[in-house]
Amino acid sequence: MGLLSLLRRLRKSGGEARILILGLDNAGKTTILRKLSDEDITTTTPTQGFNIKSILHNGFKLNVWDIGGQKTIRPYWRNYYENTEALIYVVDAADRKRVDEAGYELNEILGEDKLATVPLLVFANKSDLLQAQSADDIAESLSLFNIKDRPWQIQACSAKDGTGLEEGLRWVVKQVK
Amino acid sequence: MDGAERFERRATASARPKLKKFLLRYYPPGIILEYELAGELMQRSVDLLDLSADTDADVLVNAITRQESMIKESHREPLRKLVKKLQSKLRAVSTKSFSLVKELRAHILPLTNCAFNKSGDKFITGSYDRTCKVFDTDTGEEIHTLEGHKNVVYAIAFNNPYGDKIITGSFDKTCKLWDANTGECYYTLRGHASEIVCLGFNPQSTVIATGSMDNTAKLWDVETGTEVCTLAGHTAEIVSLCFNTSGDTIVTGGFDHDARVWDARTGRCVRALEGHGAEVSSTVFNYAGDRVVSASIDRTCRLWDVGGGRTEFVWRGHSDEVLDACFDASGARVASASADATARVYQVSSGELAHVLEGHDGEISKVAFNPQGTRVMTASSDKTCKIWDSATGLCAQTLEGHTDEIFSCAFNYEGSYVITGSKDNTCRIWKA
Repeated sequence: MGLLSLLRRLRKSGGEARILILGLDNAGKTTILRKLSDEDITTTTPTQGFNIKSILHNGFKLNVWDIGGQKTIRPYWRNYYENTEALIYVVDAADRKRVDEAGYELNEILGEDKLATVPLLVFANKSDLLQAQSADDIAESLSLFNIKDRPWQIQACSAKDGTGLEEGLRWVVKQVK
Repeated sequence: MDGAERFERRATASARPKLKKFLLRYYPPGIILEYELAGELMQRSVDLLDLSADTDADVLVNAITRQESMIKESHREPLRKLVKKLQSKLRAVSTKSFSLVKELRAHILPLTNCAFNKSGDKFITGSYDRTCKVFDTDTGEEIHTLEGHKNVVYAIAFNNPYGDKIITGSFDKTCKLWDANTGECYYTLRGHASEIVCLGFNPQSTVIATGSMDNTAKLWDVETGTEVCTLAGHTAEIVSLCFNTSGDTIVTGGFDHDARVWDARTGRCVRALEGHGAEVSSTVFNYAGDRVVSASIDRTCRLWDVGGGRTEFVWRGHSDEVLDACFDASGARVASASADATARVYQVSSGELAHVLEGHDGEISKVAFNPQGTRVMTASSDKTCKIWDSATGLCAQTLEGHTDEIFSCAFNYEGSYVITGSKDNTCRIWKA
């Protein structure tokens, strides 16, 4: 990748879009990104910085930035807001204790000027687990129904088996195309 | 004859330079003449870029004496000793391998660039965590954290050879000028409309140049922190810039496929170096300032004759994007780094390919010669740096340990230390 390719990905150019994946630590952001790029997901470790992958979707190129979600590095999410065309927010649907925390962070993000009007996809991840909440319940907890300033969508998914990822991605591409 | 004219005549009469002292410069080899002219102490450098261990010192001393009128008969012997000393420095090629001294976990997000000051006792690192940190090379101790930027600190530089100031260029569109000793911020340079991604001091440390994703470069006055002028002409992002040794000219490289040469005093574009078929990734002057090498995504490197503005060589060997290129200290060779996982070394005089450096498992994004020119270092996405013997093209050593790709690396002036900055949030110090 190299530093230069980071700069090349900062530019706006036709036929591609810059997508940001955010969410709490252990929500499954990196696993989703790896699954979408057909990579091995068994060795995923907490992201200390960021991962970038280019995903081709029907000839459209998505430059996807997956940013580490640990509490200490959340204040740096703002580094990556510039030129973002769609936001994917990943929630661990099975972690009922942290839904409020996830909602708080999402609310902070949606208040950012640089992300105003940017389409939002929420992945309710780990939906394959028994204790997982439904997409509707998550939407309720995150107050998604109050969002008026941008298109949004919630999609239940499992990064482990891939369920729901394609549907979510399709919605994102439709928004940015 | 009025008073002013008389004064002028007298000044002319006494305006014969008087040699005071010789100073040595090892890399590239040179002898600095310190002399007095009309009461003022001045310096002039006699560059010995072609000096080798086999050069006949007496012949060279004769030539220098003929060329420099201030060198008298009595200076010949001391001069000869200095030439010999430079030669012995060239001969004393260290082949010691590097070992890890310390792993610095000071940043909490990936590093961007890193750089040494000239004396090598300090180095700096930039990071996605919006700080630049100043470290002591020997102890690995963190001396200062330069805080204040509101986004990624991407480009950093010392005002070498002085080393008492630091500049940081950020994605927050500003550049900050710092006191390297106290860590205090002198000025915040505002004016760019997008991320600042390349910068540098002129070698005299009076001017700062910044290059930005807003398609312009700007010059700033170090003393006052104010903008001097804008270098407008590129039609896309500027990602590379370099002053020549005398500090009167700048070369920039842009995503518009061009390199441009600018007059650093007026900000006027002197020349557009057109020829690349894709984004330019790197542009640098040689020491003499008469050549520029540019690297490009079009898989080639070009060597430019700056005066004539024409391409001397197009080096087409790489099979993928060329991400970096550099000269050795004297300007005799060029090294290029490519996404094809190889680096290449070329002879500048003939354009000949000297070596293909093969061994990395991933793209190479940075390449550098040690100041002696005996080693080439490459930084790769395969999480290693490799040190190569520039005479044979063979890999002398692989610096292993980083757990993610390496974004930047640097030799100190003595060539005895290496620092590597990685996406794994750490910086490593290696010592020979």
